[in-house]
Amino acid sequence: MSALLRFESLSKAWFGVPAVSDLTLEIAEGAALGLIGQNGAGKSTLMNMIGGVVEPTAGRMLWRGEPYAPARPADATAAGIAFIHQELNLFTNLSVAENLYIDGFPTRLGMIDRRAIRARTEEILARLDLAVSPDTIVGELSPGERQLVEIAKALHNEARLVIFDEPTTSLTPRETQRLFDVIGRLKAQGRTIIYISHILSDVARLCDAIAVLRDGLLVDSGPAEAFDVPRMIRSMIGRDLDGLFPPRTAAPGPTPLLEARGLTQPGVLEDVTVTVHAGEVVGLFGLMGAGRTELARILFGLDPVEAGEIRLDGAPLPAGPRGRIARGLAFVTENRREEGLMMEASIMDNLGLVSIRDFGRGPAGLIDRDALAARAEEARRDLSIKAGDIGRQPVKALSGGNQQKVVIGKWLMSAPRVFILDEPTRGVDVGAKFEIYALIDRIAAAGSGILLISSEIEELMGMADRIVVMSRGETTGALARRDFDRERILRMAFRETAA
Amino acid sequence: MTRTKLLAAAATAALIGVGSAGGAQAATICFAFQDLETEFWIAGHKAITTTLTEAGHTVIERNANEDANRQFEQVRDCIAQGVDGIILIPQDGESAVTIVAEAQDNDVPIAVFNRPPSDLSRGIVVVADNAAIAEQAVDYLVEEALAAAPAGETLTPLIVVGDLGDPNAVGRKEGFYAAIEKHADRFATPIEVASEWDAATALANLEAAVTANPDIDLLFTSSDFLFPTIRSVLEPRGMWKRRGEEGHVLMGGLDGDATACQLIKEGYVDATGVQDLYFEAESAMDAILAAIEAGEAQPNQVIEDPGFALTAANLGEREMDMWGCVLLSEGFLRN
Amino acid sequence: MHSTVKAAKTKRSLGARAADVFLSDYFVLYMSLAYVAVLAPFLPVLLAPANLSNVLSNMWPLLVVAVGQTFVLAIAGIDLSQGAVVGLTSVVGAMLIATMADPVVLANAPVWGLVLTESGGPFGQMEWGFLLGIAVMVAVAAAIGAANGASVAVFGMPPFMVTLVGLISVGALAIYLTQSENIRHLPDAYVMLGKGDIASVHLGPKDTPQIPRRQIHSFVTYPMLIAIAVALLAHLLLAKTVFGKWVLAIGVNRKAAELSGVPVRRVVVLVFVISAVCAALAAVLYSARLEAGRPTLGEGNFLLDVIGAVVIGGTSLFGGKAKIVWTVFGVLFFVLLSNTLNLMNLSSFQIDMVKGGVILAAALLDVLRTRLMRERMR
Repeated sequence: MSALLRFESLSKAWFGVPAVSDLTLEIAEGAALGLIGQNGAGKSTLMNMIGGVVEPTAGRMLWRGEPYAPARPADATAAGIAFIHQELNLFTNLSVAENLYIDGFPTRLGMIDRRAIRARTEEILARLDLAVSPDTIVGELSPGERQLVEIAKALHNEARLVIFDEPTTSLTPRETQRLFDVIGRLKAQGRTIIYISHILSDVARLCDAIAVLRDGLLVDSGPAEAFDVPRMIRSMIGRDLDGLFPPRTAAPGPTPLLEARGLTQPGVLEDVTVTVHAGEVVGLFGLMGAGRTELARILFGLDPVEAGEIRLDGAPLPAGPRGRIARGLAFVTENRREEGLMMEASIMDNLGLVSIRDFGRGPAGLIDRDALAARAEEARRDLSIKAGDIGRQPVKALSGGNQQKVVIGKWLMSAPRVFILDEPTRGVDVGAKFEIYALIDRIAAAGSGILLISSEIEELMGMADRIVVMSRGETTGALARRDFDRERILRMAFRETAA
Repeated sequence: MTRTKLLAAAATAALIGVGSAGGAQAATICFAFQDLETEFWIAGHKAITTTLTEAGHTVIERNANEDANRQFEQVRDCIAQGVDGIILIPQDGESAVTIVAEAQDNDVPIAVFNRPPSDLSRGIVVVADNAAIAEQAVDYLVEEALAAAPAGETLTPLIVVGDLGDPNAVGRKEGFYAAIEKHADRFATPIEVASEWDAATALANLEAAVTANPDIDLLFTSSDFLFPTIRSVLEPRGMWKRRGEEGHVLMGGLDGDATACQLIKEGYVDATGVQDLYFEAESAMDAILAAIEAGEAQPNQVIEDPGFALTAANLGEREMDMWGCVLLSEGFLRN
Repeated sequence: MHSTVKAAKTKRSLGARAADVFLSDYFVLYMSLAYVAVLAPFLPVLLAPANLSNVLSNMWPLLVVAVGQTFVLAIAGIDLSQGAVVGLTSVVGAMLIATMADPVVLANAPVWGLVLTESGGPFGQMEWGFLLGIAVMVAVAAAIGAANGASVAVFGMPPFMVTLVGLISVGALAIYLTQSENIRHLPDAYVMLGKGDIASVHLGPKDTPQIPRRQIHSFVTYPMLIAIAVALLAHLLLAKTVFGKWVLAIGVNRKAAELSGVPVRRVVVLVFVISAVCAALAAVLYSARLEAGRPTLGEGNFLLDVIGAVVIGGTSLFGGKAKIVWTVFGVLFFVLLSNTLNLMNLSSFQIDMVKGGVILAAALLDVLRTRLMRERMR
């Protein structure tokens, strides 16, 4: 087998922080390469270099033995490289056939030759075993079907290399299975695959070879047979993971911090009572639509509540988030892009957002820049945010895990009493997850209370002192750490037992 | 003169200070006007630039687009460019006062025409005498009316008055009464129709007045722009007739726009009083050139424009003195 | 070999230095200077002291309005009502401080007899009455700004719509108050604020006993001091205070700001108040230099000038990116542009076409700058 794509000492740095360093690797024609690594390990940068979105700072790429330096995404498509992304690039208002032909319709007598388009599309869809009409509007398809349309587009463009970037995130198990069948078929046709995923068992199952990136470096690679999941994790994070969770270092205290009693809002919550003690991590579990995020928003004062009371340190909380922040409430939302961060603003501006008033001096509120910079730098070190110049580098240039650390950091700078964390590890890789867990433990050990909302039972079982389960707007049970049991929690979530 | 030469001339003028050394033979005149959006101003603008350029002067034009602040800045730019004199058609009377003062404080002579400054004491100001102009037009209507009517019959006159907050409207009304009162014995008390310088108001009030008094013999409107409105009231009542036709109402106006010119030619209207724009432009120019020649930096002078009446009788000889007719002959109303 | 490496290095640093200039806060200032340098040989009048004095004096009132607009653009809003506020407050101020008034002109105005009489406005005869007048102008503007801001912040209406309605209704109110007449006879002290010199200069030899007046040029004027003071305060407010950080945070991500405890509603309302108050201060300068309260001030292309100048400076229409220095240079460039186009004896239509083109170019420049900045991040 000859190499289809070869990287030679490929490097790329942002703000002096290397994203990919001196990478040398080749992909054999017809093989499936699994590419794994934590968020920020350099996978996206590497893909962007292949796709012509980012230019390497050093080194080169060879495509079928020829130097390959794409200047724009169209160059990659022309070379025969197709990307199947997490976010699909389809026109949902156009038909399947039109999506396939969007960059060049065949014409007959100056008119679009619809018959030819349909025939060709039907043929490609049959190859993928996708039973939809070429005239179906893409918006009417399920996420899995849409992904197959993306693959159909790649086939239509005669792609030799198909790159899958986290393709299964929004798929049902059945759709995932169908995707894997299709990938098998692509391999059988002699097409080359790069498969990127956090789901390591899938990678092990689909790929012939595996490459592991860490901090921009190729740290491990070889045939898939030589890799088991523990080796993959070890290579990704650079050490053995004794556990996925750090040990809890302190026990919760007896003083209740946040007490919510009888919260009721028709259609949202029904008589919900939750207490968070000093130094305690309370896990909040529930299925989709159980009302977890709704509870968090009500606790923070964002949404109205008809009945019930919320107290902090024994005194009732004022209405609205500003008063509650002033009293020591912090809220890391599940949607950090839209609600947590100012993506274009600098890391320092983001870190300072909540506590900026503390740095205002005099009646005009002139900012003490030195104090702010010193405090932000301290937070950066504390949270080990991987960044160059925090005063200039925008948050959007950070990896997901580092972005999440900035969100937590902006609250830490105001030294809150109670943290509400809504899915704090969503979209964060294994290593950064561990760091966030360690951070949660540290915050609790320092005496603050934490309400940790998650849809991952393991995460709650690993971190919480107590787990409260919600279902359809009501609390259906609570378990202390010693009683944690996966099945019981799930039963409460499905309301199979009374609390 | 090419542009570079012009700029060089302006620059030289700026360097040597006041351009009085050059004399009036080749003066640089700044002509600042407020806009070219109505036919009136197109005519006024042409009159000035052509005459000045033909006399060998350099004209720097500044169009303020109805923005008084912009006109103020433009005149200051002119002063900075070192012009010898300024001719101004102001946006309004108040900004005219400020601009005249600005020019005079910088020792640049300035003349204003067409719309007088609120304060006539400074600058060369050419003022149309609205009363005199209106009187001339109405005089003609009165003569015609008396000639046509049997002796002893009392005639009914009607005047459409403008917004009486506007001194122009007041002057025009006074002129009308002056003409009528010369034959007070033959005329009934005039019917006054308020227009507030607004076509819709004029329409409503005129309809009411004509319904109450269908036997009008003579109609005078304080502005020509209301003729289309008047027509829409009179026509359905059979009162919109040509001269010589049965039921013709003697009709006159003031302004001398292209519509009025056309209506006089067609015979529907008998006379209109005209601000003599050419006289005004010429007086302003003459006065400013004279001041430049004499080295006078702050000439103050009020020149009255008596205007004239264009009538069915003198149409042939004076037609081309009326700006509206000039525009008409150039195809202004042809679409 | 060694030398080629070195050459390549200097070359790259030259390119990088060019990019530095392009990305610098002072880029528009450099551009203005380059523009003057290019045009000066063809337009010698451009650098004549009288002309420079004009350019400066035209700059100040526009700067005051543009500073206010900068705050609104910073929160990703827009204030179309500024021009109307200039018109209205100039009338309100004039009717309070006029020393006399002409009944022939103003008797039809609804304010006649109520506020304004033949002996002028209620503050017309007081020595410091003009200051009271200015205070009322500012208060009226603040009320309009607060109404705009509350509509945007509390009811969540789009700023474009709210201030468009403001533009129409406030403008109409201004015209209604005086029935579109101007109010003259402003006190001398007030007029001084619009055109009063504090220091004047004469350049050249003094060979005559009396220097011709047109050779004495205003240098330091009251409008200059007022505008510089406003810009300086605004700069401190936007760049150095907690409030400024909040303004920019709302511009970048309003939702995140809200969730982080930024008092979003209060800041948005205050931003519109600042914008309107700046318009009122500019109304002082405009009406004083024209010596009359004019309901039609701020009509026509005024908004084009204001928003154009701010955008040329580099403030983003999408919010979150704004600096007062940028606006100062944007206004300078814009005024220079108008001035030079006038000096070229172009018609006002041609001038407006060129101005429109320049604003479009500025928007394009902003896109290029953002792209370059992003590339540098890589």
